[in-house]
Amino acid sequence: MSSVDSTRIGFRDALLHLAKEREDIVFVSTDSLKVVKGEPFLEVFPDRVIELGISEQNGVGVASGLASSGLLPYICTYAGFLTMRACEQMRTFVSYPNLKVRFVGANGGLHGGNREGVSHQFIEDVGILRTMPNFTILCPADGNQVYQAMLASVDIEGPVYIRIGSGREEKVFPDGTPFPLGKIRTLIDEGSDVALFCHGFITNRVIEAAKQLKEEGVGVKVVEVATIKPLDQAGIATILEKTGCAVTIEDHTIINGLGSAIAEVIAEGNPAYLVRLGLQDVYGESGFPDELLDAYGMSVQDIVEGAKRAIKHTKV
Amino acid sequence: MDLEALNAISLQLRRDVVEMVYRTKDGHPGPSFSVADIITALYFEVMNIDSSNPDMIDRDRFVLSKGHSCPVLYAALARRGYFPVEDLYTLRYLHSKLQGHPYAPKTKGLDATTGSLGNGVSIGLGMALAARIQKQANLVYVVTGDGELGEGMIWEAAMAASHQKAANLTVFIDNNNYQSGGTVSEISGPYPIEDKWKAFGWHTQSIDGHDISQILHAVEKAKEERERPSAIICKTVKGNGVSFMVGENSWHKRVYTDEEYRIAMKELGGVV
Repeated sequence: MSSVDSTRIGFRDALLHLAKEREDIVFVSTDSLKVVKGEPFLEVFPDRVIELGISEQNGVGVASGLASSGLLPYICTYAGFLTMRACEQMRTFVSYPNLKVRFVGANGGLHGGNREGVSHQFIEDVGILRTMPNFTILCPADGNQVYQAMLASVDIEGPVYIRIGSGREEKVFPDGTPFPLGKIRTLIDEGSDVALFCHGFITNRVIEAAKQLKEEGVGVKVVEVATIKPLDQAGIATILEKTGCAVTIEDHTIINGLGSAIAEVIAEGNPAYLVRLGLQDVYGESGFPDELLDAYGMSVQDIVEGAKRAIKHTKV
Repeated sequence: MDLEALNAISLQLRRDVVEMVYRTKDGHPGPSFSVADIITALYFEVMNIDSSNPDMIDRDRFVLSKGHSCPVLYAALARRGYFPVEDLYTLRYLHSKLQGHPYAPKTKGLDATTGSLGNGVSIGLGMALAARIQKQANLVYVVTGDGELGEGMIWEAAMAASHQKAANLTVFIDNNNYQSGGTVSEISGPYPIEDKWKAFGWHTQSIDGHDISQILHAVEKAKEERERPSAIICKTVKGNGVSFMVGENSWHKRVYTDEEYRIAMKELGGVV
């Protein structure tokens, strides 16, 4: 069991681990091997790295051909170069024929893209993929959870997307904590005044906010939704029934991400008041990761206030 | 199979296309005819395939990158025994196994889902690289259009295939000089086609895409290559085989009237 502090290393180490057990795994690189510090993989499995150069659409097309021939390709590069530049290839040549291709998208969110600026900050990836049938979408919280998500998802039929970051994520879970594939996970259960739903590299902030809320006497639940698709609707409905209000916190546009997913559950028979935190239909800018989250409405204080707002509306 | 028999099959496949389009009132007959001889050569002579074992791991693979030509591919699959010929007359109908553009999970014998242009060379490259990794000797064939060469992804794949030394990949370019909106000369200007592939590091040949003996010979030459992928530029005629379809680009996608159906079938050696 590796101890990893970064989502990129978590992916790399898990791939190495899996490839030692299975001969069908190949890494498709669009000059992206270095992004995940993949040199050790190349050293051990030189014949199982396919370097295509900077050509993401081609990369996804090649991955489609590899998968249809019985291999299990992992293609990892920046999230938007996959989900936007190669969006159609992901849809028509992987999702539609339901092929087993694994997509690992780096620089998820403002935190992931940070100082690179908007062209490298991907706040739409989850929303885009939510519209594609057959996809499993995983948003682990830290490096170890990426590692565990890789192990948990290896045999899923059809395409899988795993969101990773820049490598600057805070560790949330102890080493070896399993990834709850397909299920929500309650991280804090201190009452039923409000539920905080979250995923990804912002989970540490939500836990911090929950501690503050608890100190102020608020009965708070923190619920991780690391599998965005298929969504654990029953699990979410059970939480909503108890709290009657919720806050979603995601480093992603609030349109069609976690906030929208929870809103859909609410609208379809599980009424609750909802506050959605995340990018409010705006782009980010360059900055340090934590600074950006603070500046764009995802500070610990924003989460605390969001929770109070939700509770206030519910009680009225 | 001798040339006479192969030529007879290519006429049969064209008649099947006419019948499909006439009965189901939809489909792309013109683009089907320009690749009819290439597909005949591949499916009835060149490719190592077995309709009783369609998932055979070391089978040769085929990717119709210009997916809209699929009526003739469907006809080839039916005549090769993958499914009953009767099924051809369900083309584009609700719940048919024959989608408007190729969808591999539904159609026995299809290796790739295609339709959106520009993607097939990458998919074929993935199959070719898979064969190398799996230490299989199978070969991969792709057919693209000439108008399709306007898609940038073709050239991403062309560069990568050459860099990867994917000698087990052969791409036929169906150079019928037409695309949906007119001639490729007018609209997209891909010429000189052979020089472009050559510049990308491919082994290239230019042939008459309606001469099956030339197609077979070019395939053999491609097989001799050990380092480079092969591009076979096929001079073709959109609508080839039916006089009133040649030079009339509306047959890119058009349905036969009763009279046109009778004439087409007669010209293709059929009994109406």
